[in-house]
Amino acid sequence: MRRLGPFVFEPRLSPPRYIVFGVSVLAVVVALLAAAPVFLGYGQNPWQAYAAIGRGIFGSWPSFSEVLRRAIPLILCGVGLTLAFRAQFWNIGAEGQLLAGAVAATGVALFLRVPEGLRLPLMFLFGFLAGAFWGLIPALLRVKLGVNDVISTLMLNYVMAYIVEWLVHGPWKGPTMRGFAYTDAFPLAARLSFLPATRVHWVTLVLGVVMAVLIALLLARTRLGYEIRVVGQNPDAARYAGINFTVVLSLVMILSGGLAGLAGVGEVAGIHWRLRSPSHISMNYGYTAIIVAWLARGNPLAAIFTALLFGLFFAAGDYMKTTLGLPFQITGVFNGLILFFLIGFDLLMFWRVRLARKEGAWISQAGS
Amino acid sequence: MKRILAVMLAVVALGVLAFSAEKIKAGFIYVGPIGDYGWSHAHDVARRIVDEKFDWLETIYVEAVPEGEVETYIDQLVRQGCNVIFTTSFGFMDGTLAAAERYPNVIFAHCSGFKRNANMATYMADFYQVYYINGLIAGALTKTGKIGYVAAFPIPEVKRHINAFTIGVREVNPKAEVHVRWIYEWFNPAAAKEATEALIAEGCDVFAFTEDSPTVVQVAAEKGLPSFGHYSPMYDFAPDYVVSGQLVHWEKIYEDFLVKIYNGFYTTKNLAHVDYWWLLSQGAVEVGAKPGMVINPKYEAALKNYVINHPAFGKISVYELVFIRLNQMADPGITFDPFQGPVYDRKGRLVVPEGMWMSYDALITMEWAVEGVVGPWPGEP
Repeated sequence: MRRLGPFVFEPRLSPPRYIVFGVSVLAVVVALLAAAPVFLGYGQNPWQAYAAIGRGIFGSWPSFSEVLRRAIPLILCGVGLTLAFRAQFWNIGAEGQLLAGAVAATGVALFLRVPEGLRLPLMFLFGFLAGAFWGLIPALLRVKLGVNDVISTLMLNYVMAYIVEWLVHGPWKGPTMRGFAYTDAFPLAARLSFLPATRVHWVTLVLGVVMAVLIALLLARTRLGYEIRVVGQNPDAARYAGINFTVVLSLVMILSGGLAGLAGVGEVAGIHWRLRSPSHISMNYGYTAIIVAWLARGNPLAAIFTALLFGLFFAAGDYMKTTLGLPFQITGVFNGLILFFLIGFDLLMFWRVRLARKEGAWISQAGS
Repeated sequence: MKRILAVMLAVVALGVLAFSAEKIKAGFIYVGPIGDYGWSHAHDVARRIVDEKFDWLETIYVEAVPEGEVETYIDQLVRQGCNVIFTTSFGFMDGTLAAAERYPNVIFAHCSGFKRNANMATYMADFYQVYYINGLIAGALTKTGKIGYVAAFPIPEVKRHINAFTIGVREVNPKAEVHVRWIYEWFNPAAAKEATEALIAEGCDVFAFTEDSPTVVQVAAEKGLPSFGHYSPMYDFAPDYVVSGQLVHWEKIYEDFLVKIYNGFYTTKNLAHVDYWWLLSQGAVEVGAKPGMVINPKYEAALKNYVINHPAFGKISVYELVFIRLNQMADPGITFDPFQGPVYDRKGRLVVPEGMWMSYDALITMEWAVEGVVGPWPGEP
């Protein structure tokens, strides 16, 4: 128990669902209030603007489908990250693992001689393997050499971004692109199909949901899942119980990186149909997924919903830029405020706040 | 009397009909932020100019659009009633073409690409002649014989500009070299600063660049070294050190294109061969430290005193040469091109034979480096 001024904070170990839901809604509402002056500053009535954004996104299936489309890479990366975070492996490298998957998929799409029917399945397979490989490196570095996982996963993002840059400027530069730094477009057999009237590459979306279910089952129902949780919650106990850290963390990062790799396949096969500058392949999906996983509190199924929430933010941002004509920075401010309050209001989920009633109570509580 | 009135009414009605031709609502999609002081900024300046000029025109824009997202933004602009859409990055090409096919009643124009459609034109304002003129000046100003060039990406557009610049430099200073550093970003002030400092350490004393910020100008000015502004007027950032530069007037192209749509000359049916490749003679680009100032007056004396023995013009100051060349290229009947043969690449191969000019296709796919360029050159044939 802690106190701050006239308030007393009591820990709430496992908050009931209605609290989690209520606090999250409250956070969004407060964020909308906090963002209102920004809209006013740009000559927009904030309430009309919010209503316009709501209508714009939920008004039609094609517009709403954008939420789904933007959520796809976040679901795959986010689910992978919940797994890594459960093992207390701080994978900040989903961005690089996603790009690794995009590179492998491009290689298969453009350069591998395979029957056309096999091309997409092989793109997903190699994309998974490439992401897994990129994730495995920091896992082994930590287990064998004690290298800090935050640093190594983060740095490998830059390495992979430069590899992509080198590929599109060098060996993979497309002969039909007149010297510009893009690969040639993928053949039709290497492009994912869309849901009707949208640009939602549904195969990747289904893959993301299936993976979320599988990872949830893995964590809850299998021996490996149990070991992962023990490694995360109590490494000393895990060591004492003879759990093989090398095996567990390697598998965790193979899955975590592999899922990000699948997201990369989806982006190049479903949206770009080519490899291009890394900053245009991934709009920081790998980093956003960290928050997706964090807000999901390590629950892979919840990551689907937090990913959709961020898909909504992205779609709202697109809408604000075009229809309301706001500068793109305002989109960032708006999303940043919502995030700030969502994370800040965490306090209310895990701590019960009430007014201290009596002077005496203060003292005894302060002493406890 | 009644008849006269009827005729007058008819005339008025016709007039109203003629002038109430559909209003144009044009949407602009930019790849960068409009505050970048480079590419996207320049397009937005042009948008505002045409928007003010024509009361039948309404414009909206979207900035910082990722390349893969262009179709989403086009969808939204069409939903808002845009009937003309400009997309201003090469990477928007395939998305724009797909949208053009999906929206046959909307007119599209894509900047810097090469794919067209019945309702999709292409346009580009290119700087290579301007860089050549800047090169003439740079060649006369260098004392170390080394000129620094901070370059964005090794793609044909940038290579063409460096080559044209170097040809200018060597025309007045045959021993001078142009040292190139690639930063692999269109906008990265930190990298541009590092590259400039590295070039200064190598002994370069005059600077040109391709990057969307005034960083190179500022870093060079701190060391008291002259430079050439890029894309936007950069004179005000260092009035003593910005000698000249490259300025763009996208509004010339936007105005021409939009007026032709308004007059019914361009439609959704006849754009498959409409490609603007506008240069000095169309006024789409300009040589200058700022509009109207071709050469910073502070450097006039130095250029007038730098006299060379020119193969075509005999004894001539670089100051005079600059304006002769400028007139040759700005005149509608162009009588000179920087890539006028013979041109040799730095491996000694003849790339443009004596007396020949390069074709448009050869210009926009240029990969080689001309004699005098020093430094790495990815993709060099």
